[in-house]
Amino acid sequence: MSGSFASVASSGVVQGVIIGATLAFLTTILILDAVAKSETRTVNGWSSIQKAGQPGNGLLVRAALQKALPVVNVFEEAAYWTASVDGAGKRFSGEHVYRLHFLPGQLPPNDAFWSLTATDTVGYMVSNPIGRSSVDDHSGLVTNADGSVDILLQPQEPSGPAQNWLPIPTGRFKLMLRAYLPGVPIVDGSYEVPPVVQVS
Amino acid sequence: MNRLILKYSYPVTAVILLVFAWVVNRRLAGGVAAIIPLAVAATFVWVFGSLVFIYYWPWITVGGFKRAILKRGFGGGPIPVNTLYAVLDRPSQSASTSSVMGTGADDLLYIGGWLDVNAGPRALHVPEMDGRYYSVQLTDPISGANFAYVGKRTTGNAAGDFLLCGPDWKGVLPTGMTRIDVPHRSALLIGRVFAADEGDRLAAYELAKQIQLAPLNNRA
Repeated sequence: MSGSFASVASSGVVQGVIIGATLAFLTTILILDAVAKSETRTVNGWSSIQKAGQPGNGLLVRAALQKALPVVNVFEEAAYWTASVDGAGKRFSGEHVYRLHFLPGQLPPNDAFWSLTATDTVGYMVSNPIGRSSVDDHSGLVTNADGSVDILLQPQEPSGPAQNWLPIPTGRFKLMLRAYLPGVPIVDGSYEVPPVVQVS
Repeated sequence: MNRLILKYSYPVTAVILLVFAWVVNRRLAGGVAAIIPLAVAATFVWVFGSLVFIYYWPWITVGGFKRAILKRGFGGGPIPVNTLYAVLDRPSQSASTSSVMGTGADDLLYIGGWLDVNAGPRALHVPEMDGRYYSVQLTDPISGANFAYVGKRTTGNAAGDFLLCGPDWKGVLPTGMTRIDVPHRSALLIGRVFAADEGDRLAAYELAKQIQLAPLNNRA
């Protein structure tokens, strides 16, 4: 008995199973990432996936979207956009100062609330000196004279209004914009989130 | 741990692949024939395993939340099956201790629970929300799809009672209750209640705690 175990072990089958399983896992990751990418719509550096959490997705799509956005809301309940690059396609870095400029009336339309969060590259919030991890429609944003709104994304306190400051982590980071009960222009795809612009 | 693996996924993968290359190389030293059992086993498991991983990915993901709820909980210890637990803390504060909660929105108060209606239907009660945004998402453990919602968008903001039951349940629906079929007799429940700021958080928490599950026979 122990002899046959030894011969199986020394034949390399066990190693083969371990190698095969690991390669299967890596292959799955690559396939799911590719499928999720094809389901992702990216405008101005902001990516969103309309089919996430919806019933009726095929085996491949449901797996891919569960990997990209685990157990998230359906799009009609909450629209999520993520960005890790600015409007010019350059990766975000906490060494820079960024602005997100919403034209008058162009804040995300919704029947609940919207919020913008800065996280590390994996998606976890990072603590900052003022303990603020998001700005939103109920944080008293200051409106410019022409009705537009600027959100100031930078690690240090800005010279502009502090209410409009979203502290960003040093190093690479990611932004997540959420609109709960998104309005019709979001659901039908006509609304576009403006690009994040690097100021310095 | 998960966080470290996610952050350093490329170096970790590279090290694993290097170890594999070293193992294969050591075998090859014994001649090409010595590698055949390894190669056959690896190829079979690779192809079959990829299909299995893709099929079960949603189950694995939702299962991770199930384990987090039933084994660890969100700060108040493990959450028993068919119990809803409202989390008072902002997600950002618990980011380091609870990876599941670390990615939430801090304008929301989260509620989590694992539903199992194999032993009979469960009644979900939601209080009058007085215009406040809330939702309860029911996620299927096999497909990962949100098969039902209770909340402002789907059922309105008034108090309500919903009977969560298996698709083959034949009992009499009590008056005033709305039936919701649970396709695979279990589901991940995620509740979200809007909280404008720290001052509003306690008010939201009082409402969130009233979103409750109860066995059908315990109700008047």
